[in-house]
Amino acid sequence: MSLDTSPRATAGGAPILLSARGLVKRYGAHPPVVAGVDFDVAERAFTTLLGPSGCGKTTILRMIGGFERPSAGTLTLDGVVLGDRPPERRPVNTVFQSYALFPHLSVHDNVAFSLTLRQGAGDIAAKVRRALDAVHMAGFGDRFPAQLSGGQQQRVAVARAMVAEPRLLLLDEPLSALDRTMRAHLQTELKDLQRRLGIAFVYVTHDQEEAFGLSDTILVMNGGRILQADTPETVYRRPASSFVAGFIGGATLVPGHVVGVAPDRTTIGTALGTFVAPGLPALGEGMPASLVLRPDSIVLRDDGDLRAAVRHVTFIGQGYAVEAEAQGQALRFASAESPRVGSTVPLAIVGDRAYVTAAA
Amino acid sequence: MTGGRSLFAMPLVVVLLGGAILPLVILAVISFWSVDFDAFELVPGFGLASWREVLGSSTYPTLIGKSVLTGFATAGLTALAGYPVALSLLRLPKRWKSVALVVLMTPLYTGEIVRIYAWRLVLGTDGLVNGLLMGLHLVQAPLKFILFSPVATVLALVYDELPFMTLALWIAAERLDGRLAEAARDLGARPLTAFLRVTLPLTRTGLCAGALAVFALSAGDLQTPNFLGGPSGATALASIDNLFGTAFDWPTASALALALLFALTVSAALLAMAILRLGGAVRVRP
Repeated sequence: MSLDTSPRATAGGAPILLSARGLVKRYGAHPPVVAGVDFDVAERAFTTLLGPSGCGKTTILRMIGGFERPSAGTLTLDGVVLGDRPPERRPVNTVFQSYALFPHLSVHDNVAFSLTLRQGAGDIAAKVRRALDAVHMAGFGDRFPAQLSGGQQQRVAVARAMVAEPRLLLLDEPLSALDRTMRAHLQTELKDLQRRLGIAFVYVTHDQEEAFGLSDTILVMNGGRILQADTPETVYRRPASSFVAGFIGGATLVPGHVVGVAPDRTTIGTALGTFVAPGLPALGEGMPASLVLRPDSIVLRDDGDLRAAVRHVTFIGQGYAVEAEAQGQALRFASAESPRVGSTVPLAIVGDRAYVTAAA
Repeated sequence: MTGGRSLFAMPLVVVLLGGAILPLVILAVISFWSVDFDAFELVPGFGLASWREVLGSSTYPTLIGKSVLTGFATAGLTALAGYPVALSLLRLPKRWKSVALVVLMTPLYTGEIVRIYAWRLVLGTDGLVNGLLMGLHLVQAPLKFILFSPVATVLALVYDELPFMTLALWIAAERLDGRLAEAARDLGARPLTAFLRVTLPLTRTGLCAGALAVFALSAGDLQTPNFLGGPSGATALASIDNLFGTAFDWPTASALALALLFALTVSAALLAMAILRLGGAVRVRP
């Protein structure tokens, strides 16, 4: 995790919109839900908090929204410390997990809600129409939330939040209640909308596919801490720990010890042999480590020096997902042909597509 | 109805017919009779004398109006006091909610007369309130207008009926998604605005149930105004009691009872309609 201490710009160079420093949330004597996190959200960027349930990601979102008061630490938005500001005085809006549409108000009145509370909101009807157009819900203004499908409710929730023209839009697992097809569809829509509006999004999810599909930056969380803050590619290829590698899914983790460190190359000794791959810079010789193998890091090759027994083969469209076992270590990889289940096959590991990361 | 299941409703129908409708019909019939005060006998017939007495005087309409006003005031004040309580109960952990329920019902555990005498001790000339005011040198002499005034009556009624209102509001609010109030705040509403535009309209059925219960109980209360209201404590109910009993004027008593019932029913219906319209009032379309 690269922690830039100057709050002026992120690693990518975009100006910083929101920054959190030493953010903590604890309830009573329990271990803190958020245990001191630092992160930056860039202007116009799509930032995702990704982690298993209970990792503190929603709590962070609620602290940004003003619904929870941090036990320690600061949140700074546009250079202004948010402090104890109530939700109505933050230039931030939320799309809630259950959408929280007002059931007694029509779609139009739901979307107009923030505008009617504001002096000089201008032409409310036109703004509502534009917002509903943007989420493909034009013509639904007279309906009530109970008359809409989940996907339609989700769109209205987005329209209602963005019509207030926030500096930052917070989305709390907004797609989790929808079926798979609708989820994929709305994912594309959300990303388009975010690009078009140029509003920064902070998105909370436990679904790594969603996070990869949407984000400019992913903050991987566990146990109230941020384990890695990077682009989706870096999180995938260069996970900062075994937890990150495992949570992202599809990974094979081979435990071992670092036996050699060179610039850009780390050598790891494992039960399967010794491998050379790019590695976490913080690793030193003798430290416990894990070799992270993605489905494309392992290839079926006649001259491969690993012998593995094929356990399962699953057809996945563009090839097969194979699960094999070598010396008690399960290996998952992708293959163009289908090896016979029960056979022993030669495998090779592509060092450039593997990574050596911290064991814990 | 042909369904056999409707037979199960028969006992209730019998009780309603025999216990409520029939007595009302009897009252209506008697209200047109007259009384021979020399013989102390009711004289059947058809005369409008008792109705003229009830509706023509200023005494009885005033008493009926007072009853309606007491009901409205108590319903309104219990709603004002009940909402903060009900909404703060939502945040309690589950097992504390049952404790809260027991505490909430406290006013119902003692008899009405006991409560009334307790209020006399609190509000009286040598009572707690005056003692405190004088101890703090806020007043020189004890305030006499607190006890034996409409203030005392309504205060005691609010205390008595508050559990019914709070319970109705609490149940309605528990069914509400807590995120709705948060969403209102998120969209720029201050706490009071969020309450008025989201929480209030969405709990209006609870408010309606609570208000009707409180209205009926307080408008129809005899003892509290009688013992705490002093000269202001005269009620239509006390008059009915008097007319039926000591005065032996059953026709006037019947007419007054029916007039009171009619006024309270209409008032309760208006109250309910006003509350149930709360949600529709926030249309924003130009």
